[in-house]
Amino acid sequence: MAVSMGVPARALDYADPILPGLIPDEAELTAGVRIEPGKSYGFFTDTTLCIGCKACEVACKEWNALPADEVGLTGNSYDNTGRLSANTWRHVAFVEKIGTNGKRAAEMAPFQSNWLMMSDVCKHCHNAPCLEACPTGALFRTEFDTVVVQQDICNGCGYCVPACPFGVVDLNEVDGKAHKCTLCYDRLKGGLEPACAKSCPTDSIQFGEVPDLVEKARARVEDLHGRGAVDAYLYGAPGEPGATGDLGHLNAFFLLTDRPEVYGLPTAPTRASNRVAPALGAGLATMAGLTLAAIALFATNRFATNRRR
Amino acid sequence: MPQDSAVRPYAGETYYGCPALKASPFGWKTAGYIFLAGLSGSAQILGTVADLGGGREKRNLVRNARGLAIAGTVVGPALLIGDLHTPSRWYNMLRIFRRTSPMSIGSYILTGFGAFSALTLGADRLGLAGVARVAQVPAAVAGTGMSVYTAALLSATSTPLWAASPRLLSVRFGASAMASAAAALSLGERLGGRPEGAETLDRVAMAASAVDLVASVAAEREYKAEGVAGPVEEGPWAPVEKIGAIAVGAAVPLVCHAINARRERPSAALSVLGSLAILAGGMALRSAMLHAGNRSATRPRDYFRFARPRPALDHRPAPDRIAR
Repeated sequence: MAVSMGVPARALDYADPILPGLIPDEAELTAGVRIEPGKSYGFFTDTTLCIGCKACEVACKEWNALPADEVGLTGNSYDNTGRLSANTWRHVAFVEKIGTNGKRAAEMAPFQSNWLMMSDVCKHCHNAPCLEACPTGALFRTEFDTVVVQQDICNGCGYCVPACPFGVVDLNEVDGKAHKCTLCYDRLKGGLEPACAKSCPTDSIQFGEVPDLVEKARARVEDLHGRGAVDAYLYGAPGEPGATGDLGHLNAFFLLTDRPEVYGLPTAPTRASNRVAPALGAGLATMAGLTLAAIALFATNRFATNRRR
Repeated sequence: MPQDSAVRPYAGETYYGCPALKASPFGWKTAGYIFLAGLSGSAQILGTVADLGGGREKRNLVRNARGLAIAGTVVGPALLIGDLHTPSRWYNMLRIFRRTSPMSIGSYILTGFGAFSALTLGADRLGLAGVARVAQVPAAVAGTGMSVYTAALLSATSTPLWAASPRLLSVRFGASAMASAAAALSLGERLGGRPEGAETLDRVAMAASAVDLVASVAAEREYKAEGVAGPVEEGPWAPVEKIGAIAVGAAVPLVCHAINARRERPSAALSVLGSLAILAGGMALRSAMLHAGNRSATRPRDYFRFARPRPALDHRPAPDRIAR
């Protein structure tokens, strides 16, 4: 597509402030991506670009009509959202690295004012433990390679909640269903970029086809390393931390500059379903052994009883 | 250039100590179901063993076992459906089959167990002993699943305490299930004035308690090695696990039944004490593991210690690759 000044040429077709209707394939204009079923879509969240504005949180709540969770102050920097939940599908984490032990910093390393800000979201894992745990088929993989809970199927068993290795999926106690980021399934179907990515003013959240995003992300890491930000690395891209334990890559992956745990992420999450076979195998072997013992004991008892007669 | 942030081993960092996981919504109903599923599943196994190899004087034992199995298939699903947050859609559990989900596997085990247990008891009551004799075999096979699939259900999550030791958790649940069934049936034999049946069952319970005790001690060691033992070492569920599940549930009955096994005339009091200890301990084990597990999910350091790179598990050495 011809692009001048970063604006796709087709955008000029919609110069009028009053739109005639839905722009076909709008994501082409806003993210440079034509959304087609059968391809793999995701987010690349580059935390070095995040300014902590929470536009993603607001856009997500607006588009998905999600209510506020409890309103209050956490005391954890500017993070009063707290956590991802049934009603919060984007969560901006704030880590102030200025000064330690309650002391003000006397000098600062020249990088991003030493605040880490990171917009967390459902990772849409390649081998998603929530989906693998779901007994009803409510959780499914869409034609865009994303993971979505079908609200008309979910019976609120809640098994996906502990299955998730990132603490993302949550039950809504009001409607009794599991909820999480849908990667704006409805918007993708309409050719629209997901709300959070579209609203992100710094392009910290980038939407696109996963292979393209990984390529972009790797180039970004190289660039940052060259500019002296040597701690930059990818989390959840193929072969990187986060994409561990047979989970495969994460369709929503991140560029981080401190250890994953600092952002509340595990270094090496695992695929929960890999523990089914060892557990069932050991258990059934135990039962087989004890059943044999019972057979032997009952047979001995019968033999003894017969002899007494 | 090696990155400090990626190569250095985990040193306790968290995001303001916030949980990195969500705890399961499972509570006492699930704990009760796990206990009951094990009790009724193993009762069907013992009933079948007694029916096929125990002789005529075990007829009451067999009937009690079949009754216990039915109790599990009536009360069990009620507990499970009561734990759903949209119970009116309980039937969606049988909408698909998913082999990666112990919840799905368990739904079918429970369905099969219920169907064959009902057929067994129904045929028995109608005087169709032959039908009952055949139907009890698949019911008993499903009963082995009932006894242990719940351990796979807990292990196949990201909850650190449950995930840390899938095999030993399953051995504990299975052994406790068999011990509980033997204990309940032993009490039934005592009440019915048939001490001989009780003595055989007590030996089954003794064997199961021994397995339970060994697996419990091994599991405790594994939790410590994995750095996830916190919720069973401190807090409200530590005594339930240590005293309730291990001491009362496994050690006390092992001693009671072992003393009885060496006696010429076994003591009824010791037998009853051992049986009651097993039943109380079995419930304590399920409650402690369930609630301590939920606590462990909210302890970020437990999870981050557990979710460390393991080159043997991953197809690549995790932290080395990002160091460049």
